[in-house]
Amino acid sequence: MLADFLIGFQNALHPMNILIMSLALAGGIAIGTLPGLSATMGVALLVPLTFGMDPATGLLMLGAMYTGAIYGGANSAILINTPGTPSAVCTTFDGYPLTKQGRADEALFTALVSSVIGGVIGTIFLLVATQPLALVSLKFGSPEYFWMAIFGLTIISSLSEGNMIKGLLGGVLGLLLATIGIDPVTGHSRFIFDYRPLIGGITLIPAMIGFFSFAQVLTLVDENQKYLAEYSPNKGVIGKVFGHMLKFSKKNLLRSSLIGTFVGILPGAGGNVASFVAYNEAKRWSKNPETFGKGEIEGVVASESSNNATVSSSLIPLLSLGIPGSPVAAVLLGGLLIHGLQPGAKLFIQTGDIAYTFIIGLIVVNLLMLFVGFLGMRLFAQVLNVPSHYIATIVIVLSVIGSYAIRNNLFDIVIMIVCGIIGFITLKVGFEPGPIVLGLILGTLAEEGFSLSLLMAKASGSMFDTFVARPISAFLIFMCIMAIVSPIYVRVKKSRKNKLENA
Amino acid sequence: MNKKLIAVLLIIGFLLTLGLAGCQKAEEKQQDGGKAEETYPSKDITVIIPFTAGGSSDVQARIVEKYFKEEFGVNMIITYKEGAGGEVGFTELAKSKADGYVIGGLNVPHIILQPLARETEFNIDSFAYIGQMVNDPQLIAVLKDSKYNTLQELIDDAKAKPGQITLGNVGTFSGHHIASLNFMNLTGTEFTLIPYKGAADQIVALQGGHVNAIMGNLNDVMRDLDKYKILGITTEERHYLAPEVPTFKELGLDMTQGITRLFAAPKDIAPEKLARLKEGFENIAKNPEYLKDMEKIGQPEEWKDGEKVYDDLKKEVETATKLLEEYDLLDKK
Repeated sequence: MLADFLIGFQNALHPMNILIMSLALAGGIAIGTLPGLSATMGVALLVPLTFGMDPATGLLMLGAMYTGAIYGGANSAILINTPGTPSAVCTTFDGYPLTKQGRADEALFTALVSSVIGGVIGTIFLLVATQPLALVSLKFGSPEYFWMAIFGLTIISSLSEGNMIKGLLGGVLGLLLATIGIDPVTGHSRFIFDYRPLIGGITLIPAMIGFFSFAQVLTLVDENQKYLAEYSPNKGVIGKVFGHMLKFSKKNLLRSSLIGTFVGILPGAGGNVASFVAYNEAKRWSKNPETFGKGEIEGVVASESSNNATVSSSLIPLLSLGIPGSPVAAVLLGGLLIHGLQPGAKLFIQTGDIAYTFIIGLIVVNLLMLFVGFLGMRLFAQVLNVPSHYIATIVIVLSVIGSYAIRNNLFDIVIMIVCGIIGFITLKVGFEPGPIVLGLILGTLAEEGFSLSLLMAKASGSMFDTFVARPISAFLIFMCIMAIVSPIYVRVKKSRKNKLENA
Repeated sequence: MNKKLIAVLLIIGFLLTLGLAGCQKAEEKQQDGGKAEETYPSKDITVIIPFTAGGSSDVQARIVEKYFKEEFGVNMIITYKEGAGGEVGFTELAKSKADGYVIGGLNVPHIILQPLARETEFNIDSFAYIGQMVNDPQLIAVLKDSKYNTLQELIDDAKAKPGQITLGNVGTFSGHHIASLNFMNLTGTEFTLIPYKGAADQIVALQGGHVNAIMGNLNDVMRDLDKYKILGITTEERHYLAPEVPTFKELGLDMTQGITRLFAAPKDIAPEKLARLKEGFENIAKNPEYLKDMEKIGQPEEWKDGEKVYDDLKKEVETATKLLEEYDLLDKK
């Protein structure tokens, strides 16, 4: 084990590997940044290339691409309010307001540093706690997934403060969209209205590109401003960001990275769920929750550190159990098999050198990202000096390519455009896209969890045993109740205090 | 080292092509229609894989790809058309131009069951079959520390407690589902079937103890054989990858079921082109290097010629229809 570890260390630092990782990172950051082109697509495109390489190098290339793309999503989220990947949805909430305030470079650098820290923390867990965490992921059965999805839905309440009805309606719209396609239990098609292409359902990525990127383009055109926001590089950003993070963000970084690590190990939940939960918790524990959504640097910290923490932790079930925990991990599994590697516990025993080269390489990737990302950041920020009609055109082209590329399906472009138009109209009347996309993300998870749990309950003969009397379920139910009750309690307390002061 | 250099070049090339991706129009370039070709194939052949990159179907296709150029002299271009349990890709293949340059991977019994379950734009008559390359048999597995040691014990317990034992599946109207129905029908038992979204979810549920037993594929449990007890496998004879596991037949259950992977072309392909494809795929399927690769990825290979495939499919449609009727699951159109 120690020998493997040392070999891994040596391999990961091999100059050729460093070069490949840097290039794949740059590619990943570019793909992540370009709205429409997502991490899953980037990795899927790259995977055939790795089949001809030696396994460790191929894996490192994919890992670097994945890490870069998940981080890169933040750039476009911050600069043009369109998340480059689904994991960066929460980054738009505060990132874009910061840009509007002329603090774009501060937000960009914060996102970079947070991503690196989240990525390193997630990878450390992958290195030292793979087996125990994999066992935790096995404890999650259908009832747990159901409650986790419900807990995720409570986030809508904090996303849409002061606008609760619209937030809830948006969430319901998302949940409804998630029901289109094939019923997970009966296998029959539903809500497709005899229109065959709908059988594949509304998939997240085209819908998200529509609701955020395409709708944002329509908004840009509608607003008819020459530039997105005022931007001139601020001096001393690096010092300012590090100073702020050292002083205020330590707890937030740690909490968000742990949330990311934990959510990442669950097959079925990924960076998008993790960033929503981390964002919500950052807001809950913050001393000034009212600043969230209006340009709060901590919102960017939470979203970006948590989504990059999922990159490594989503590999935990794959490397230890041979079970792919995310679409990207599924692609990696194929890569491992083609090279004749056996994922699962045997990977560490039989081919420990490759496993450790990969894991240590991921830490190196994250550190490299600090430099590669920094170079890219300066470049990307220039987008703000490009007149917005050019940006609108480019984003539309990328949205079309990205929607098509994810499943090579023309119909996904239609989904993207329709969602974009719906998103634009709803935005006009005050619906934010956040709750809609959250509903879409969690809808399938919740439904599948619920219907499979019902079947389990039917077999065991007790609803209570299946849904409630399981430790993790009980804990998640408690969290749901807290999430609903605590804001009410806080408000009542506040209004009482106000009354006392006024009296 | 050379490999790494190639890798670097590939990445750079990849980034460039990405920029060009927008201009690319992969399909429907060929407009010359009826003109007779002298040699077939004279350009790259596109293979539609109806599942995600990196999935089992893809991994198998990638192995074929390794030997494709050598056999046919042109490249095999894999495109993924995923969605709705393969239906999106199957439909795409059925509707593709039958010029011999678009073929695809098909999975059985998916292509039998989907047209039975709901209205689809294809059925088994929409394709011209090249041949079968993989036969991944169904089996019933429990966790290592489960109280069931034999299939009979599981059946007896299910008889004593109808509906109280859970049996994991992957999807409804899938190979797993039909195998489970067949098993319940033959043994007169009633299990509560839990349809998981994918093989990975099903394995998590089994390992986490959320389900009592699973109807699964050999390929899914191969990776961690020491974690499970395989109670029985639905093959004619004991399987070469798991020789210690008794077959259902030995246990007195007449049932052979598996998920098979085929390659096929759209039905109107010219007979001489189909013949060339059959010959080539059979050569690949019998190549010792290919067989070694298949063993490495843990997929049970079994070549079956296209004609035989089609005959067997017709029989399978009949049995599946009867079974679904029995359980009242047929789509009432």
